[in-house]
Amino acid sequence: MAKHFNNLKGTKFLKMLPDRQARFKAARAEMPSFSDNATALAKALHPKRQYLKVADVKVMAEDCRSFTLVPDESKGTKALAYFGAGKYLTVFETIEGMPVTRAYSISSSPKDSLEGKYVLTIKLVEGGLMSQYIFDNWEVGSQVEVSAPAGNFEYQPLRDAKKVICLAGGSGITPFLSMANAINDGDEDFELTLLYGSRNYENILFRQELDELQTKCDKIKVVHVLSDKGAKVPKDCEKGFITAELIKKYAPENEAYSVFLCGPQQMYEFVDKELEKLELPKKYIRHEMFGEFHNPQNQADYPAGIPETVRITVTIQDKTYIIKGKSTDSVMQIIEQNGLAVPARCRSGECGFCHSHLISGKVYVPKHLEYRRLADYKFGCIHPCCSFPLTDLEINVPVAK
Amino acid sequence: MKTYDVIVIGAGNGGLAAAANCAKAGLSVLLLERHNIPGGSASSFVRGRFEFEPSLHELAGIGDEKEAGTIEEVFNRIDADVEWCRHDSTFRLVVPAKEGDTDTFVNEDGVLVTVDARMPVGFEAFSRKLDELVPGSYSSCRKAFDLSINMFKAFDCLEDLSKLPGSLKDVPDIMTMVSHTMKEALDDLGMPKKAQDIFNTYWCYMGSPASQFDFLYYLCCLHSYVRSGTGIPKYRSHEMSLSIDKKIRDFGGDIWYNSEVTKIIMKDGKPAGVVINGEKEVYGKQFICNSYPYKVFTELMDKKDVPEMQLKMLNARKTACTLTTVYLGMNKTKEELGIKDYSIFIAPDSDSDKQYEAAQNYFSGYCIINCLNEIIPDCTPEGTSQLFLTTMTFGDVMKDIRPQDYKKFKTKVAEDMIETCEKALNISIKPYIEEIEIALPPTFARYLNTPLGTPYGYMLEKWDSMLPRTIQYIKDQPFDNFYFCGATQERGDGYGCAYYTGEKAAGLVIKKMKEGK
Repeated sequence: MAKHFNNLKGTKFLKMLPDRQARFKAARAEMPSFSDNATALAKALHPKRQYLKVADVKVMAEDCRSFTLVPDESKGTKALAYFGAGKYLTVFETIEGMPVTRAYSISSSPKDSLEGKYVLTIKLVEGGLMSQYIFDNWEVGSQVEVSAPAGNFEYQPLRDAKKVICLAGGSGITPFLSMANAINDGDEDFELTLLYGSRNYENILFRQELDELQTKCDKIKVVHVLSDKGAKVPKDCEKGFITAELIKKYAPENEAYSVFLCGPQQMYEFVDKELEKLELPKKYIRHEMFGEFHNPQNQADYPAGIPETVRITVTIQDKTYIIKGKSTDSVMQIIEQNGLAVPARCRSGECGFCHSHLISGKVYVPKHLEYRRLADYKFGCIHPCCSFPLTDLEINVPVAK
Repeated sequence: MKTYDVIVIGAGNGGLAAAANCAKAGLSVLLLERHNIPGGSASSFVRGRFEFEPSLHELAGIGDEKEAGTIEEVFNRIDADVEWCRHDSTFRLVVPAKEGDTDTFVNEDGVLVTVDARMPVGFEAFSRKLDELVPGSYSSCRKAFDLSINMFKAFDCLEDLSKLPGSLKDVPDIMTMVSHTMKEALDDLGMPKKAQDIFNTYWCYMGSPASQFDFLYYLCCLHSYVRSGTGIPKYRSHEMSLSIDKKIRDFGGDIWYNSEVTKIIMKDGKPAGVVINGEKEVYGKQFICNSYPYKVFTELMDKKDVPEMQLKMLNARKTACTLTTVYLGMNKTKEELGIKDYSIFIAPDSDSDKQYEAAQNYFSGYCIINCLNEIIPDCTPEGTSQLFLTTMTFGDVMKDIRPQDYKKFKTKVAEDMIETCEKALNISIKPYIEEIEIALPPTFARYLNTPLGTPYGYMLEKWDSMLPRTIQYIKDQPFDNFYFCGATQERGDGYGCAYYTGEKAAGLVIKKMKEGK
């Protein structure tokens, strides 16, 4: 072999192993301890579970209550995880032996969490399993188990316009109330104009809080949009629905603005059509998640001739269960109805927490809930929360954690 | 309860390769992963209409139609199905001029720089380009590549550990390369300093600067990139991980997700089983661990069970660098943005040791910008593109950040990184951001469960470099039925390195089980 090096020699090599051994030998034989704030921050912001107690229940309307939750030190939660305004908590309950989860946006401010307080404002949903359970059971002192704050419905200054038109319907106000408080506290910096759709003036949730925020902080403007025919429309309120015209009226004229939406499915269907007329770039329109999807059979692309009931073979770790359910329920719902826990967070397809392996069978996934990764299609992975069985299935689900 | 032949802790790249190979050999395998998907760093995530690659910059081991590359072979050996995309490029290094710099020029983008090096694939082409940029560097560069072609002999020697280190004496250059740093070796070969800086651009993929990192290993990595260019999976690295996941199941192995090992059960002075999520016990004969020694010995075992040498090793070593990554979904194409390269390294100074020094703090001005559309044009919807900016830091850089400061801090770091790219490339990024996600060391700590959030293992320092680690691998393991794999082992970070350690650990375990030990 030709000589390549001029002066360097390989003899040093022979000392490398002994030197390395000597270096190890000379080190301390104690448990290492070093400051690791990356891990500390990760744990503080994303605890596996938060154990809380109900400290207050406030009746907001006949069908709406606000629950103030504080740390349950007896179960090991000493402080609450801080969060960005707009995030949600997933609530874990067991209802008649059935493990159930629901995601609710936090309506209180991020600052409140530092003082040991989250507020969840929950609307009673007709036929809703979790909301009915919460209304019947949560009282001062009740123990509650929730996830770390989660979700992507947040203001991001590098992405969103400095001015944001927030469109809320009913209890969809909750993330925006948190955002408005965060602006007032100096934790967020943007101009928020809220167009808030309610049925009538008396029905408005958080009316007083919103009024106060608007008075205190010049970055916040609130406009109530009242939809009931014949409803009285006080000064500074609007009548009807949230239309393109109305958005234009409150939007800045020669300046970019973002539109954030949070409300029921029907509101999205209506407002999305209105938004099309405004021809905003996609980056300026952001939706909070749709919430749990029901009745897939009403979708235009749902196939015909699907059996009413299906059999699902579910494997979780080393246990296999054979269960039955209705094909119009999601795979997640069917598993839960059979008393098995499924890893669940958003229940809207988006977070991917329930990512599972479909071994055999076919499912239907509504197009607007497709958040799977490309390789998931290739290797047959699904999100059970928005997958509806079309045939008998065999599925491998991670253990709920 | 069933006792598994092998329990693999962690489904990172190393753990996946280990589990697949053990299962293929007919052993009963249980792969345990705390996260709900496989891969660790090798994954993906969706925001709006974009699916982002979280960590992979490029694979050097994807060959061409004629010959499979080393990483491709890992997948071929277990018949895992990945669609590879190839690109004939290595890197572009841009060093914007600072006040007081004398050796400056205006580059093709109209930016005043001291270095702008777009380096081609191929040893001869690379050497010629380097010579064009820094006259007088051709012969030293060619010499280095000649050495790199020979160095594979060293790896043949490594195949038979019983003959080491004596057998290396037959390849004297190898012994010289392995016992000297990049700087020492290139100085000796007579490479001009400026050419060395360009030659050393990939140092950040290894995490140790030119004055620390051994010449052999660096040359080995550069060789692979310059020989075969860049490879990447079609559907982000989630495709690579899921393809191995599928093979493990096909071979009869079990994979349990959301199943975190919270304790190692000891019997007769060595591991006999694990506790999962604090409640479920599973037993095994052999163990392959993709988690960090630091986590295993401080969190999963009682101090009395930890071999003293393992504690000493932990205390002697330095945790490697941490990364900060900004993922951008853009509502403009790469042409509209004016991006012409897949991989651009922007450095505040061309010298790797100065870059290393600067990276002790946020934000040093060091930023790698990748545009996936350059390799996979349709990886985003029509009219859009995705960018991926990376910088590195060393040490506990989060020490003064409280939870309530974190979001603002993250945004500030991302903004600094974006502005650095805008200035260095004379392009506009900010107005076109449709989706953004920012990952700092706490993000990696959360998903990877590594000390400081490092994806890189322990720093490959002068005294603890790849070759001695390789020779000592078996002696470095804590028990005779427990093998570590992944970034903490002999080759440090990198997908290929992790797969290699997984295959190697599997090989040792398979041999043991076949011998009935």
